[in-house]
Amino acid sequence: MTFACRFAVALVAFLLGITSLAAEPLPSEPELLAVLRSDAPEADKAITCKRLAIKGSAAAVPDLAKLLGNERLASWARIALEAIPGPEADAALRNAAGSLSGMRLVGVINSIGVRRDAAALPMLQAKLTDADAEVAAAARHAIGSIGTTQAAAILTKAMAVPGGSLDATAQAGVVCAERLLVSGKKPEALALYDAIRKAGVAEQRVAEATRGAILARGLEGIPLLLETLRSPSPRLSNIALYAARELDDRPQAGAVDLALATEMAKPPGDAAAADRVVKIIDVLADRNADGGASDAVLQAVINSATGRAKPIRLAAIAAVGRIGNASALSPLLVSAEDADGDIALVANKALSSLAGSEVDREIVARLPKADANVLPALVRAIGNRQIAAVAELKPLVNHASDAVRTSTVAALGKVVDLPNLGILIDQVVKPSVAGDVGKKAILEASIRMPDREACAEKLAVAIDTAPAEAKVTLLDVVGEVGGTRALAAVAAAAKSNDPALQDASTRLLGKWMTPDAAPVLLELSKSFTDGKFQTRAIRGYIRVARQMALPDAERAEICRNALKIAKDPADQKTVLEILPRYPSPATLAVAKEAATMPGLEAEATAAAAAIEQKLAKPAG
Amino acid sequence: MAASRTRLGRRQLLKGGLAAMAAPMIIPSSALGLDGAVPPSERIVVGGIGIGRRGEYDLGCFLEQPDVVFAAICDVKQGRRDAVKQMADTKYGNQDCAQYRDFHELLDRKDIDAVLIATGPNWHGTASMYAAKAGKDIYCEKPCTKNIAESLILRDTMRRCGTVFQAGTQRRNLPHFAFACELARTGRLGKMKKVFAHPNGMQALMSGWLPEEPLPNPAVDDWDRYLGPAAWRPFNTKTLQDGFNFEKGGGLVGGGVLEWGSHCVDLCQWAVNDCAPPVEYNPPKDGYIVTTYADGVELIFREKDWIPLGSCPVRFEGETGWVEAGDSGKLVLSSPTLLAGRTVEEIGGYPATFHVRDFLDCVKTRGQPKGNADAACNAHIACHATNVAIALNRTVKFDNATNTFVGDDEANRMRSEALREPWRL
Repeated sequence: MTFACRFAVALVAFLLGITSLAAEPLPSEPELLAVLRSDAPEADKAITCKRLAIKGSAAAVPDLAKLLGNERLASWARIALEAIPGPEADAALRNAAGSLSGMRLVGVINSIGVRRDAAALPMLQAKLTDADAEVAAAARHAIGSIGTTQAAAILTKAMAVPGGSLDATAQAGVVCAERLLVSGKKPEALALYDAIRKAGVAEQRVAEATRGAILARGLEGIPLLLETLRSPSPRLSNIALYAARELDDRPQAGAVDLALATEMAKPPGDAAAADRVVKIIDVLADRNADGGASDAVLQAVINSATGRAKPIRLAAIAAVGRIGNASALSPLLVSAEDADGDIALVANKALSSLAGSEVDREIVARLPKADANVLPALVRAIGNRQIAAVAELKPLVNHASDAVRTSTVAALGKVVDLPNLGILIDQVVKPSVAGDVGKKAILEASIRMPDREACAEKLAVAIDTAPAEAKVTLLDVVGEVGGTRALAAVAAAAKSNDPALQDASTRLLGKWMTPDAAPVLLELSKSFTDGKFQTRAIRGYIRVARQMALPDAERAEICRNALKIAKDPADQKTVLEILPRYPSPATLAVAKEAATMPGLEAEATAAAAAIEQKLAKPAG
Repeated sequence: MAASRTRLGRRQLLKGGLAAMAAPMIIPSSALGLDGAVPPSERIVVGGIGIGRRGEYDLGCFLEQPDVVFAAICDVKQGRRDAVKQMADTKYGNQDCAQYRDFHELLDRKDIDAVLIATGPNWHGTASMYAAKAGKDIYCEKPCTKNIAESLILRDTMRRCGTVFQAGTQRRNLPHFAFACELARTGRLGKMKKVFAHPNGMQALMSGWLPEEPLPNPAVDDWDRYLGPAAWRPFNTKTLQDGFNFEKGGGLVGGGVLEWGSHCVDLCQWAVNDCAPPVEYNPPKDGYIVTTYADGVELIFREKDWIPLGSCPVRFEGETGWVEAGDSGKLVLSSPTLLAGRTVEEIGGYPATFHVRDFLDCVKTRGQPKGNADAACNAHIACHATNVAIALNRTVKFDNATNTFVGDDEANRMRSEALREPWRL
């Protein structure tokens, strides 16, 4: 395709509202410049500028610079000029700044800032006092972005002049200080941060400069960090919390944590201070979420989990769960049984999340010696942490304490393995705990068994010998497990003469997740004499055709059978609605057959027509 | 040993930024003796910037929170200003919701703590920077940025200003997605090999220039403010009405990878512990885009081969297992043992309520929400760099230390784009 053709295609797309930038190879720079130099429409020139951002060189700069005063195309030209490397683009922008005014000048200054052209600093300094406030603001921002020692000096000097622009100058100063720091000029950066902090600027600017001053100082910034944390100003206190999360404690690992922990341990004088303690605890947890908290810091947080105001306790307990180790078990176990439900809830969560296999071992080791007050929390922790301790839990199923028995059955639901599934089957047949704890536990256990066929086999055997009520419960469980053996068990229950089992099994088959239920449902729909169960079987059979992924022929066969066995016109109509959703020669044949069935002629004919129409359409 | 682990861990954390930090616990008001009531000091005053169809959904999530007071709406369209005011005033039974056309006026209000930004992608990043500098906390719809440079500036600005920033990546606060990511992050799938994202399109597109129509009354539809940081175009009704797509991904690149990817890639990033973005990006081939992280794990965009679990599917594959999840709220696991006794709540339809709540809690605690700026920056860079590979139709390599493409001048020029005057970041 020639350049002209390619360009025309791209332009048409551009004029349609959305286009691809470079799916085709981009035109060359001379080709693009030819467009800029022509009397092409503005839209052509706009997209050309965009492409010159990728392809342009110094050779393109003069043509682009000519557009900087063009109200409609200046922003497009700057896209290219900001991107083209080299001193030519810098010089062009500086030159343009000498002749432009208003918004076009603001744009040019913004681009100078993005390019960090230090040679423009004298010009920018002069613009700081421009009568056009937008121009002055742009100059301040650009100077900050350039971020050299000279830029810092200009901004520092400007901050000494009282006036309405002080805050914006400070904003540029913070950026400038960041740039100085990155370029290794820490003393200059610190001087600028500190000058801004004392310049009487808006609190937000003070906050930004304070964060910078803390982080730039490293460990020497800890006193400023703590001073700012204690500030009565929420904005300053908040920025300290932010900085506390970021502050690197090299070369003295733990120094920041220790300072924060000491601050946290101080008795708060008022509600604001108490709230601050809560937030410091959160910071400590964030800083040590990798499990690396020192013993001193961990102990300080553990100490805050008891004997302090409730919000502090809650925060501390949660933090212990994130940063603690086995040494935190005892206090957490006590809190887990606290009379205050909020405390107990958070403590139990913390017990679940404490990191380390050592914690697992310690929890199991404590079981034999634990009394009935502590046992439920230990057992819950075993379940929530999925510790393989079935042997240790097994005797507790018959513990004298109701709370222990209940927590044990629930925990077994989370940890029991297939050989021991019988423990939970027994809980369905002969429960030792009230309510549906046993049912929930066996369901939870069964659906996570890796060998679901073996699991279903075990449940199926149990169904055969279980009492009536337990049969239904176990049938529900095997239905959730799914698979070939489970389907056979549910089918067998459906074929029994027990209405309760027939009810449960047809309910399960009606929502079976795999198409292998279809033959079972077809057989049942023919053999049931009870209307309710027969209807369920037919509708379950139709559902397979409607919802599941099937080969065309198989789906068509199910529909064909369903039309024959369905007695309810609504069910027949459903089948006819399925056929056009899966257009194929096979479903078309079924629709045509149905058109000969009394009462279905019109709808089946319409279905056949719809299928034919879909089949006639070319793919895609 | 412990001390060594401490240092290493902390360095990694600090190097990795704030992305990985967990949102801290919020103390229930019942614990404060308030019986669930919200005292005035605990209320968060919120303003909205650019509230269209998606924004109204987000706003609904804010309005249902008892500690939120929605005080003001800024939009360039009178119709939207009126609709949102009616929504808020109806909720509160008063006429107090203020209306603005210029977001500076809203940001100047000292009583407003936080803003919901749902303008459309053209404005997301720029408006977020202005809001942060005004001291507001921010919930910003995605995609949050237009290019790589803007992603980095967004992250740095949020850090500098101490802003609580939540990208509108609400799937981070849905239990099944969170669980899938947790399986990957915690090694329960074995050593990670591949993470998959659905891009919903693999073209790099840019917004065009439609035929000029007469300018509307700016009091009704303010075209200049609608264009905002985008390069100038003549007024056109279709462009005005398509804020959802206008300048998505910025002028240079964009398209499906960014629209959907800022969700799916974001989840993939979470699955690999919010690490730095991939270092190599390939152009599309046979419906796949393969990108590779520094440790060899692949982030793969693919259009097909998904288990039908709803929109925004992701899949994480390790050496010993895999998990796949989608917007239906369901998970599919390589083995049920991965559940390990856990019950994962199934919430379909990707509601943002939990994500909004996470944000509001962090506004109070000053913790980091799940879609924080560091996490959003990394995920967006991955999307933008992918788009650069698509646009240039070649493999590009990215250096996360310098945030530049390696030995590719053209790709490097696509890292940023000039903003229309007077806007700047």
